[in-house]
Order: sequence, then structure tokens, then C-alpha cells
Amino acid sequence: MMVETKDLTKYYSPGKEKVVALEGVNLTIEEGEFIALVGPSGSGKSTLLYILGCIDAPSRGEVYLDSTKVEFKNSSSLVLLRRKLIGFVFQTFNLMPAMTAVQNIEYPMYFNKTPGIKRRERATMLLESVGLGNRNSHLPSELSGGEQQRVAIARALANDPVLILADEPTGNLDSKTGKTILGMMKRLNKEEGKTVIMVTHDPDVAHTADRAIRILDGRIQ
Amino acid sequence: MKEMFSLAFGQLIRKKLRVFLIVLGIAIGVAAVIGVTSLGEGLRIQAVNHIKASHDLTIIEVSAGLDKGMILLTDSKINDIRKTEHVVLAAQYVKDPYVTMNKTYLTFKGVTKDYKHVQNLQLEKGEWFQEKTNQVVLGRDAAEKLSKIENIKPGDELTVKLRLYGEEGRPRDKTAVFRIVGVMRPTGGEHDNQVMLDINKAREMDEKEAYDGAFVKVDDPAFTSSVRAKIERLGLKGYSAQDEIDAVNKLMTAITLVLGFFSGISLLVGALMIVNTMTISVYERTKEIGLSKALGASDLDIMKMFLAECLIIGIMAGILGILLGSAFSMVIDILGKPFLVSQLGEMGEGLQYTSITAITPSLLAAGFVISLVLSIVAGLYPARRAAKLNPLEALRQI
Repeated sequence: MMVETKDLTKYYSPGKEKVVALEGVNLTIEEGEFIALVGPSGSGKSTLLYILGCIDAPSRGEVYLDSTKVEFKNSSSLVLLRRKLIGFVFQTFNLMPAMTAVQNIEYPMYFNKTPGIKRRERATMLLESVGLGNRNSHLPSELSGGEQQRVAIARALANDPVLILADEPTGNLDSKTGKTILGMMKRLNKEEGKTVIMVTHDPDVAHTADRAIRILDGRIQ
Repeated sequence: MKEMFSLAFGQLIRKKLRVFLIVLGIAIGVAAVIGVTSLGEGLRIQAVNHIKASHDLTIIEVSAGLDKGMILLTDSKINDIRKTEHVVLAAQYVKDPYVTMNKTYLTFKGVTKDYKHVQNLQLEKGEWFQEKTNQVVLGRDAAEKLSKIENIKPGDELTVKLRLYGEEGRPRDKTAVFRIVGVMRPTGGEHDNQVMLDINKAREMDEKEAYDGAFVKVDDPAFTSSVRAKIERLGLKGYSAQDEIDAVNKLMTAITLVLGFFSGISLLVGALMIVNTMTISVYERTKEIGLSKALGASDLDIMKMFLAECLIIGIMAGILGILLGSAFSMVIDILGKPFLVSQLGEMGEGLQYTSITAITPSLLAAGFVISLVLSIVAGLYPARRAAKLNPLEALRQI
């Protein structure tokens, strides 16, 4: 089992009122699945994704990643999970603006203490695998949106994670480019066996997934 | 480590003007401290050299001790001193106020042969007195006084009185006749006004049971303080020009510290600039920080990244501060020297050909280290703030 949640609940209390983002979510995702998390905005799907990605903590309930319980109170264990198990792809690409394409891909390996030469080698290889071998010294501002997202996908693979979490990766792209990116995500899943969880509100995109998990008002439908 | 700095450098490159301004701000502070301290150091060296040039550092002046009751400088004490290691010679003396028949007051100093060597006394005319005779040698000013007021010249006889006080305080005058056999060259010191005579003759006159003082010469200035400590253990009082040097060093160190402290206030301004700029930078890069955490950065990684930036700023500011400080020190020398020379008059003459500021390697090193430490300390708060950012909230920022 790659991902399992038990009674996962998250609420925010910005004012006096308690806002429920997730309520009693029980979820099982097997290794190698391609999952689409769908639901209207505000449904809690992004919250779920970030809790699974260990950068948000639940108010109640448990999360198991790769059959190990996540200790949300232990920040150094969270850091290790983020480094070793998880790769993120964002809607707004989120590349480091001061770094070249290759440096962006190297960045997560830097935190994972990969030696410099190996890092550069792997980053170059990953950049080639997303079809941008000739763009290694370009800054993000010199790349198109689609190219930036390809760099971001290569970055998500840097530390060879088992779980790829994508937050509307095609949301900021035109439909043609979006299809290319989606194709890449699928290939990661089919050819490299990565478990992919992708948040989307596009029903067509959701359609390409192995399984769609619908969330409404913090509950799985 | 190397990557950390290249990342930090990449960040700084993006904000060249801002970084340049902070570096300049701290560098000016460092330069102010280096400049002011170099002036204090330079003046200290000048003063110490001045003392060294006009005093013999191998000589210790010994007098009766007062700390543990009156300890007199007797023959046995003189012998103890002579037996001390590194002592070349000890020249004891007695000193008494004599008065001529025409009421000219003169200080007569009864001295040994060694005394002449220790004090490096030279004759201008005539010869040195013979031991156990009534012969005397005059200091230059004393000779002039006698010749002008009383028309007594070298070769003439000199009749003087010494007033002694008996046990009940009753005065008793002793009269003696001396012959002037020589005149000393001017020394610029006390000897110009004194009259030298044989110590045995002088003691016969004043009937003192101990000496008034002694000059002790050691073989090397390096041993002056240890010999002096030995003398003080005998209960006597010792003094050497090293005391003056110590006093000057102490005073100048205090002055330099105070001046350095006040010029250091500009460093505080520089440090606040770092705190301010780095805090702004944390806000600007909130999203990048959140992203870095999502990609696997620990709190410590983030903190190190910011501190590495501060360290680079500190290194650059340190180097620039050293350059500016050296230039500032030169300016102080060029502009300040004529002023000092004109204010000090005769004493300032020697300054004309030297520098009134002194830059030592340790001063430059201190300036550099101050810059580094300051940058790191000022960066701690912003770096900690960055490290503690909640990655999710940071990522959600646009």
C-alpha cells in the first residue's frame, strides 16, 4: 500500500468559526496507481494533497506513506519523507527564478546530499528525458510555460521518489501543452511505475486517470 | 559547503545594488574603526619611541622603600642588588642642599665612579674629581650661576655650608671648602644644576646612615623588569622608564578603546542595515523558501542559506573595510600630521618624518573578523525567521 489515510480531518479556525477542510477521509491508494483528485475549488482536495505531501498537518487522523505512519509532530522525519518519497509538481511551476533549468533540477538533490558530480549528471539526464536537453543553462524566465512545467516534472523526479503529487499541473497551460504534460505524467506512471496523485477540476483530465477520487465539502463522495 | 555559497552568491547577484549598499555601509564602519584605532596605535608608538630615545631602559632608579615601613638604602642592600643576576653595576649616591656664603643654593651629589658611567656624564672642560679629595665638578647651569652671581670660576675654591639638624632638631652648620676641577656638558636633566663630589667626602659632611638613591644598570632591557621586581622584594622602591612606557600604553589603550567604541557605533548602523535588508529579503522570498521546504530543505538548510549570504556580505565588507580603513588612516596621517606638529611644537618635530598612524596586521585582521561576526550575528534573526516559515503558507503566497 502506497498511501493510506484513516479518519483524516483538517479544520482551520481563522476567526471564531471553525472551517472544515477535510472530514473523516479514509483512503487507500496502491503502488503504481494514477489517481485524479477531483472536486470544485474549496472542496479540500488541495488540502488533502498537501497533507499527503507532508507540508501540511491534519487536525486529526492518520496517514501512512509506503506503509509507514507519518509523524506530523516530528519535523525532521517530515523533511526526510519530503526528500526521499515525494516529488511535487505545482500549477504555477514554481521554479527558482535565479537558477537555470539544470540547477532547478539539481536543487532537491542538493538537500538530499547527493554529491555534486552525480547531481549534475542526473539533472542533465532528466532534462533530456523531458525533451529539453538543449535548454540546460536557460533561466525559467527564458522558457515557455510548457517548458517550465517540464523542468518542474524533471525536478520532481530528481531524488527518484515513489510518489508524485501534482497540484493542477495543467491548470496554467493551454490545452495542447496541457495534453503533453499530462502525457508525461502518464508515462511516469506507466513506464517508471511512479504512483501519481493529481489534483484537477478538469473532468477530461480526470478521465485519463486509473481512478478518480471525488471530494466535496471535505468528504470523499 | 561550496554549493551553499554558490547558491548564496546566486541570490546576492540578483540584488547587486542592495548588496553593494550594505557592504559599503559595514565597510565604512569597519574603516572608521580601523582609521581611529590606527591613529591611537600610531600615537602610542610615537610616544613609546620618544621615551625609549630619551631614556636608558637598562637603568633602574632605586630609592628607600616606604611600603613596609622605612627601608633604608644601606650598603648591605646595595651589595644584595650587586649580587643579583644581570646587574652590571649599582651606583649609589647621596644628595644634599648646600649654600654658598652669598646664599646661592646648590644641590651637591656625592657619587661613585660608576655613577658617571651609568648616567653617561661627559666633561666639557677640566677633569673629573679624584676620590677622597675636596674636588668637585659642576653641572653646566650651576657653573653659569656661580660665575655670574659670585664670579667663581673653574679652578677656584668654593666655600659652602651644609645645615644639619641634631637630635632635638637644633640646627648645626658645617662649613667646607671645595675646589672646582671641571664642568660637565649639558645633559638636559637634573645634573645641569648639580655639583658632583666624592661620595665618601659627601657622607663625611652629611653624616647620613644610608644612601638617598642608586642607579642600577642591567645588561639587557629584557631583564629590567625582573631585576626591578627583585629590588622591590628587598623592600626598596624601583623605577624605570619602562614605567612610563607602561603608563603610556595603558592610557593610549584606554583612549583607543573609547574612540574605537564610538566609531564602532557606525558598525551598529551597518548591522541594523543587514537585519533590515535580510528581513525584507525573507519576505520577498517567502514563496521560494516554502518551495525549498517542499523540495526537501530542512529548517537548518534554510537558515544556513541565509547565513551564507550574510557571510559573503561580511567577507566583502571586511575586504572593502580594510581597503577603506587603510585609505582613511592615510588621510588622517596626511591631514592630521601638520596640525599635530604645529600644536606640539618642539615635541612634534620628530613626527614630521614619521607617520602618526600605524596599521598593524592584527588591526586589519580584527577589522575583518568584526565584519564577519557582525554580519553573521545580524543575519541570525532574519535567517531564523526564514527557517521557521510554514511551507504551506509560504507556498500559497503569490
